[in-house]
Amino acid sequence: MAGALPADRELAQQILAELRAPRVAAAFACGGLLALAGVLMQTLFRNPLAEPYLLGVSGGAGLLALLGMAAGLAWPWISLLAFAGSLLALGLAAALGGRMLARDHTPLLLAGVMLAAGFGALIALVLSVAPAERLPGMLFFLMGDLAWTGNAPLLLAALGLAVAAALSLSRRLDVLQLSPLKAASLGVAVAPTRWTLFGLAGACTALVVAQAGSIGFVGLMVPHALRKLGFNGHRVLLPAAALAGGSLLVLADALARTVIEPRELPVGVLTALLGVPMMLWLLRRP
Amino acid sequence: MRLTTHQLSLNAGTRTLIDALDLALEPGEVLGILGANGAGKSTLLTVLAGLARPAQGQVLLDGQPVADLPPLTRAQHIGLLPQGDEGGFFGSVADFVALGHFPFDGSPDLAPHLATWELTDLADRPLATLSGGERQRARLAQLAVQQPRIALLDEPLTHLDPAHQARLLAWARSEADAGRCVVLTLHDPNWAACHCDRLLFLYGDGRWRLGTPAELLTPASLEALYGPGTASLWRQSERSQPV
Repeated sequence: MAGALPADRELAQQILAELRAPRVAAAFACGGLLALAGVLMQTLFRNPLAEPYLLGVSGGAGLLALLGMAAGLAWPWISLLAFAGSLLALGLAAALGGRMLARDHTPLLLAGVMLAAGFGALIALVLSVAPAERLPGMLFFLMGDLAWTGNAPLLLAALGLAVAAALSLSRRLDVLQLSPLKAASLGVAVAPTRWTLFGLAGACTALVVAQAGSIGFVGLMVPHALRKLGFNGHRVLLPAAALAGGSLLVLADALARTVIEPRELPVGVLTALLGVPMMLWLLRRP
Repeated sequence: MRLTTHQLSLNAGTRTLIDALDLALEPGEVLGILGANGAGKSTLLTVLAGLARPAQGQVLLDGQPVADLPPLTRAQHIGLLPQGDEGGFFGSVADFVALGHFPFDGSPDLAPHLATWELTDLADRPLATLSGGERQRARLAQLAVQQPRIALLDEPLTHLDPAHQARLLAWARSEADAGRCVVLTLHDPNWAACHCDRLLFLYGDGRWRLGTPAELLTPASLEALYGPGTASLWRQSERSQPV
């Protein structure tokens, strides 16, 4: 920009400060929150395949958001509807499957997976009857898209709070990797701690889904990859997941904006395109 | 530190497993619990640990109901080795063993416990890569790190080769000699005869018997406990004196 006019430079700075920087910050916060939620879910369910959307959060959010779009509502309402849909899914999963959580997480898992399947069918139904001109917006929401995300400071603050809250639980989370009976015998109050995990992971996920739709793969892959690289104690795993998840999503979003410029791709496509080969490569490591 | 039960009854559904058990665990003793599958051995250990409520009666730790103790306080005194389930643990053997220190502040000195259970060379390996016997040793080491005054072990001999069974015996005896109490469930009457100070027979229908190995272990009593044809489990009655 050697010969740029002062007005151009001002414009460039304005674009950087008002468009690019908030979007990068929002991408980082969303990625961090998703990866953090992934760690919490994997510890809650003692299963490396658990991920933030396991209990139907994305389905519940997607269904209400799509209904809002089909009705012609605008963005802040869509975001609120998505948030409400996430909470609806979490509430249903907890009510239907949470009774035995002190001893057995399987009923909660099954209830969540069933809800996710049910929401998936309803979403397909909405998509098949929705007006054609609204379909691209709906698909972008379902695949995850940072273009509408307007609230970077809120998301960053939430990420900071969530990391701090999760870190305060880190020793208990280490013990919760053991069987519920063994964890209880070591002095962990299993049911309250598991509900705290459920609530924290659910809140992180609901916030992201309400701001950016269902960005896939970050919450599954990042914790798994970090464990594979030797980050195992939660005291290091939690902040590492927030950092790595945030970085992955910033990278994916930068590519989503630029690979077929001037059009944008849904960022969820890029997280999977980047993440799948990375994960497969990690799995082949001894 | 004394763990006692008062008129303790346990059910499985509508079936009575144990009826009105009065048991006083003495510091310095090794108590063996014998009974058929499903007789209530594991359930009893869970209730003794204060982690499940009995149908009736109470478990008291120095006179206080154990189920009412704050979880951490309870864990500082009572340790439980449940049967294995480590599917959700992704860390190393050393990380796993160190979790036994959770009820206490500071960081544990793992080296002596890893050495006792011959895990020193395995310490950095992922727990998931261990064999069944090695994993059982890691679980025992984790319990040893907790150093409970009352250790409740559910079938601790599982997967252990004879050398490590002997090591478990030596560990249990040294715990007892230090004034702690070890309770274990097991299926081998000969092992029970050699290494336990007292035995508790659970018949699975409410009845129970408490006594020394010499009092309880006879071919007839084993048939009464396990069913017909099991008397041959008990061949060397001269072993009934502790070695």
